[in-house]
Amino acid sequence: MIKPDKTVMKETGFMAVFSLIASVLMQAVFLIIGKWNLSVLLGNLIGYAVSILNFFLMGLSVQHSCDKNEKEAAGFMRASQILRMFMLFVVAILGAVLDCFNIVTTLIPLFFPRVAVFFRQSFMKKNGGDSDGGENRV
Amino acid sequence: MTELAIGIILGCCALGAGVAMIAGIGPGIGEGNAVAKACEAIGRQPECRGQVTTTMLMGCAVAETTGLYALVIAILLIFVAPQRLVDILMNIVG
Repeated sequence: MIKPDKTVMKETGFMAVFSLIASVLMQAVFLIIGKWNLSVLLGNLIGYAVSILNFFLMGLSVQHSCDKNEKEAAGFMRASQILRMFMLFVVAILGAVLDCFNIVTTLIPLFFPRVAVFFRQSFMKKNGGDSDGGENRV
Repeated sequence: MTELAIGIILGCCALGAGVAMIAGIGPGIGEGNAVAKACEAIGRQPECRGQVTTTMLMGCAVAETTGLYALVIAILLIFVAPQRLVDILMNIVG
């Protein structure tokens, strides 16, 4: 069992908070356009949970592979990516097949971490700061 | 004739989904290379581990999006597109 690093927990927390805000916004949009129902909420919940889980597992993989040599690390990350992609594939299929999940709201939250990275980079560029707040600066 | 058209639609959708998933290989290779170089960097400067990990996590999240695009396209081609296309065909045929 790998113990999560402080950096991984911090980044996952940031992604979780950002994705939660984005999910709430998405629900609001569905309410406004009058297409909200329980499947929209359930789809969003499963998509959000899997998106954060995927990011956390990626963080754990990165942390674990940092202790290996170059070749082993590359192989480990490839294997991890394939397994995580399989997990996303299964969830996306569930979202598409089961009527209790809305396919759109299941798939959209998977992109929230990418949007979070984009906003973070823009914000940091504007403030001229480091992505980690400078705490690890040498 | 209609059955043949439906078969072609289903076949092309499945083929398209398979081709789209080829893009899922790229992020794995990219992430692997990025992490390998990060290991090298950490080996050279162990005190930068936190900073390197943060940057690498962000980079991996960006790289993974390409695979997610492919995944979404494949899922839509398998589960959504065939029904829509068959409906359109049926409307045309009448």
